[in-house]
Amino acid sequence: MPTNKLKSIYLSIILALILLLLPCSGFVLTMRPDFMLLVIIFWLIRAPNLCNVGTAWLVGLFVDLATGGVFGQYALAYTIAAFFAVTYQKRLVLFSSTQQLIYVFLLLFISQLIMLVIKTFAGAQFMGWTYFIPSITGVLLWFMAGLFGLDVGGRNRGN
Amino acid sequence: MARRFNNKLEQQQAPAFFVHGPSALARLAFFSTLSLALMAADSRLQYLLTVRQTLQTLLHPLQVLANTPSQLYRDASEYLSTHDYLLNENRQLKQYALQQDIALQKLNTLALENEHLRQLLEVNKTIVQGGVAAEIMHVGRDMFSRKIILNRGQTNNISAGEAVVDAKGVIGQVTRVYPLSSEVTLITDKSLAIPVQIERNGLRAIAFGHGRDSTLDLPYLPANVDIRRGDRLVTSGIDGVYPTGLAVATVTKIEVTQDSPFARIICTPTGGVENHRQVLVVSLPHIDVQAESGLSSTQASGSSVDTTQSENVQVAPKPIDAQKAVKVMPLNQKSKKNAHE
Repeated sequence: MPTNKLKSIYLSIILALILLLLPCSGFVLTMRPDFMLLVIIFWLIRAPNLCNVGTAWLVGLFVDLATGGVFGQYALAYTIAAFFAVTYQKRLVLFSSTQQLIYVFLLLFISQLIMLVIKTFAGAQFMGWTYFIPSITGVLLWFMAGLFGLDVGGRNRGN
Repeated sequence: MARRFNNKLEQQQAPAFFVHGPSALARLAFFSTLSLALMAADSRLQYLLTVRQTLQTLLHPLQVLANTPSQLYRDASEYLSTHDYLLNENRQLKQYALQQDIALQKLNTLALENEHLRQLLEVNKTIVQGGVAAEIMHVGRDMFSRKIILNRGQTNNISAGEAVVDAKGVIGQVTRVYPLSSEVTLITDKSLAIPVQIERNGLRAIAFGHGRDSTLDLPYLPANVDIRRGDRLVTSGIDGVYPTGLAVATVTKIEVTQDSPFARIICTPTGGVENHRQVLVVSLPHIDVQAESGLSSTQASGSSVDTTQSENVQVAPKPIDAQKAVKVMPLNQKSKKNAHE
């Protein structure tokens, strides 16, 4: 069972990397959710024994490579987001879907906020609130994944 | 339902206090420190270039895979384009080629004449620069910087510092070279500066990228400078990187305020990244280092090019003369003072 799951973890990470590498610009770029972090959060909740803060760091390093930015910035953002995901993992599994959505949004938001802080230190200007749109689209993607039958872990109180 | 819940319980094999290995907090501290160290090493010391190049080569197949859908779509739409459309386009292109041919004939004569005149005046030869045609693979994903990735790299003799132009004008400069691809920083990026000249009156200036939207700034020009809306900016060529006379931008907005001795001039680039896929990477001119030592000593902060990256680069390709810009400043203030008196 774990080897099987390990395979699907690798596969999903590679898939997310390809999605990240898809050529897009302008409007699509501002709307695009952070596929990689979503995948990592998903596995942190579903398989905490296979996936931890270190995994998030390594994946973040690959995202740094793909985006061509300074090494370590996405790694740091993912590490911190993953830490919060791991710390509250037990509770996250028991959360209702809505609570879980809010929590995932917060995680995505934290990672974006850290990126913003790093970039601001490097001398970049804040580009306006549209910068945070990927967090919202990311949560929508999470919600859709739940609707389409992917077991994202949230318990439905109704059933 | 119960089975599903059981499944979920099985997945968490042991509670946290039975799991071996360091705690989440320890991991956080360790990996955060590692990230910070990496950031410092990468941005300040530039040790990680070879690592980056190697890993980038590993990522290249994935990149090609990611580009496949759009490539397929383009191929399909090319294949399905109608006969009429192709005929029409062919006719237009033929006409265009004819016009260009005529212009080129004139250019050849003019170039010869120019060469002859230069010989008479004993002026140095103009530098002839070759180029490599490349295609834009994708636009950079980092929303904070303006970069594009080209599908030509070290294997095609591209080196850092080279200028990149498209059919309409300059778009940027090669800043990182990987074995199979290269990264181009656009002129609209905040870290890139390009020496320009106003086509109408030959006034020299330096255009800086604005960073946030796709415009260029012309700082350090006095409020009473002779510049108008619609003026075309071309490369001045004094940097030895960009060939002379390439279109860069058009002036779109000039603001003069009472409280600043400088005019705020905003320009829109003529070359478009969104419109074209094909670009030309103009190779660096080969000049002796001794002869150009004066030029390389004046290099300043403008460009984000890293000269340590490539042995081919003989001249430090930093396209800026900050000294001139600095010299202008006190002059402006003086002229402003005079105006007040």
